[in-house]
Amino acid sequence: MPLKPPSGTFPLWRRLLVCSSILVCLGAARAETTVEIVHYFNVPGQLDGLAAIQKDFEAANPDIKIKFTYIPFADLVKTTLQMAAVHKPPGISCIDNPDVRHVAKSGVLKDISASVAKFPTWQDTYPGPKHAVTEGEKVFGVPIGSNSLAIFSNKKMLSDAGITDPPKTWDELTADAAKLTKSPVYGLVFSATNTEESTWQFEPFLWTGGGSLLDLTAAPAKEALQLWVDLIQKGSVSKDAVNWNQGDVANQFISGQAAMMVMGPWMLGQVHKSGLDFEVTPIPVPKEGGKPVVPLGGEVWCVMKGDPKVEAAALKFIEFVQDADRLEKLCNTFNYISSVRSVAKKQGEANPELQPFVLQMDTARARPEEGGANYTEVSLAARNAIQQAITGQATVDAALAGAAAKIKPLAAKK
Amino acid sequence: MKQLEAIPEHPTTVPEAQGRVVPRRKRAWRTALTSYSFILPIAIFGLLLLVYPVLYSLALSFRDATVETYVSGDMPFAGLSNYAQSLADTTFWQALENTVIFTFCSILFQFAIGFLLTLFFQNRFPLKNVLIALLLIPWIAPVLTAANIFKGLFNDVGPINQISHLLGIPTVPWLASPGFALAATIVANIWIGFPFNFILLYSGVSNIPAEIYEAARIDGASYWRRVGHITLPILKPVTVAVLMLGTIYTVKVFDLVFIMTGGGPANTSHLLSTYAYQVGFSILNYGQAAAIATVIVALILSLNLFQLFLQRR
Repeated sequence: MPLKPPSGTFPLWRRLLVCSSILVCLGAARAETTVEIVHYFNVPGQLDGLAAIQKDFEAANPDIKIKFTYIPFADLVKTTLQMAAVHKPPGISCIDNPDVRHVAKSGVLKDISASVAKFPTWQDTYPGPKHAVTEGEKVFGVPIGSNSLAIFSNKKMLSDAGITDPPKTWDELTADAAKLTKSPVYGLVFSATNTEESTWQFEPFLWTGGGSLLDLTAAPAKEALQLWVDLIQKGSVSKDAVNWNQGDVANQFISGQAAMMVMGPWMLGQVHKSGLDFEVTPIPVPKEGGKPVVPLGGEVWCVMKGDPKVEAAALKFIEFVQDADRLEKLCNTFNYISSVRSVAKKQGEANPELQPFVLQMDTARARPEEGGANYTEVSLAARNAIQQAITGQATVDAALAGAAAKIKPLAAKK
Repeated sequence: MKQLEAIPEHPTTVPEAQGRVVPRRKRAWRTALTSYSFILPIAIFGLLLLVYPVLYSLALSFRDATVETYVSGDMPFAGLSNYAQSLADTTFWQALENTVIFTFCSILFQFAIGFLLTLFFQNRFPLKNVLIALLLIPWIAPVLTAANIFKGLFNDVGPINQISHLLGIPTVPWLASPGFALAATIVANIWIGFPFNFILLYSGVSNIPAEIYEAARIDGASYWRRVGHITLPILKPVTVAVLMLGTIYTVKVFDLVFIMTGGGPANTSHLLSTYAYQVGFSILNYGQAAAIATVIVALILSLNLFQLFLQRR
């Protein structure tokens, strides 16, 4: 067959066939690397953000393909470990930040300290998110973004009750919540369910008062838990809070069954959609002049140990996302606060609803600061005490003493 | 084999119709082979998908399997330490106690309601088949749906408390109170499970010939005498099957409690199943979770053996 046949004698389908086979050969010669990213993001905004980043990255790096694989929240760590155990690790796992050091203990995560040191954004990363991914000298991931908790208030209900500003101190919180409670509306709602959610929602109050999960018998811990117990016993918060997860909490607020809620920025989109007139303010402090200390949420890009080529490509992807503009765009679509100070500042200036969360970032703490890799078990003991106290099964002192006894050996275990 | 065939006096060979001689042993072998090949698929299925996971879980319960050791794969042998750790844990005992209470109360009421309904449906009345179909709804409805409905019903300001309030009965925050959360899940489970009892008992009852009842009636037996001396004895095999299956279904209930209370408040409504899940997938201690799962299997086996023993007696 002549290499260049005169046109007309060579039918179209043949030309197409030749062209496509050349393309296939080219593709194979280029030896594409595929980076599989496992994650549990399922909110449309988040998925759009990820898809946009993927498109930009693949256009800039034609030799690397990104493949996102969705795994339900509860299975992510389990699946990540399973994939690693059968030697088919994903390139990147988007692990929830309190779990990172726990998973790193298994040795499946790559220490990327040498690479991140070169990222300009790393120096500018808030201490809290940095802490969550660092074990000694080793760095096991780069935060995608952060979230935390603040108070959402229903403006109309507040003005109807004659409250001009949302509560800033614990006394105001207690008084306002009582004032706002008019059956069937509760003044405040938080989550105290039997999952990590309740420890996470309790921590802002515990830490703002100067307490610690590792020292639950101290006065600040007792005061924080007493605050919750009083709110429930006075009827300002529904007793059902012990069964409400954060989705239920948001539903109570959106449907007008609660005037205020403890909630994070990821719910902003949903609250907006309901058309409710609301405002967001920082977590109240025990006494005026104090600073709120909130726990950090948010996921982390963790590079998995595996094929060095995939590891390198995964790092390239993470570095690509660290570009300030891209980071801002991604965090905005996620309704997250960037873990990078300069980017977060810009987000807060552009969006007043994010501003309280941005302001809290400087003092925000990573949850594993208390308990390290054993945080999960520490949290379990603490939430048991929270539930015992607010259901009246035990006094605040007895419940906390019981939890402290369980936490003591865990804290020593390291 | 070949050597045996070579011995002519040996009575292992029989002449066949065509005159071809096939060794009897070989033939027996072939028949056996054919027979076994029929059960081969189910045997492979059973070994691979039933026996292997159970044995793996059993083996796991004797190993130190946590996040750290699971990936590296060494999982050192830990003897009975997973069991010892569980037995020393107050939540484990609470969960075991809850499982027993949950199972006993569920089965008792499910069976009682199912049996009474069976007696009722022995009568003839209009719309009978429609009503039977309606009664099956709880069994057909996905547990996910049922659990969320009951979560709403038992809500602090939910319908149940509203009705109690109207009637002047003191209300309790069902799912939020340590004393009532388990009771609420039992009520939900009875609702889900009674149609299963009813439909099996009902199909058993419909096989009883009407003549027996007629004869008893002529002999002057009262209604409850007929129930006690005819219906119950004839239903015995069905009853045993219903109770055994019911026990298995109930001991391993997970989703209902997981959705309604998550084992809370303060671990007071944990079943062994939800507790095993928490240990395995929240704390990621696979070894201890496997130990608890083994206890669940042991519990089901012992309850079933006990029922068999009662039946034999």
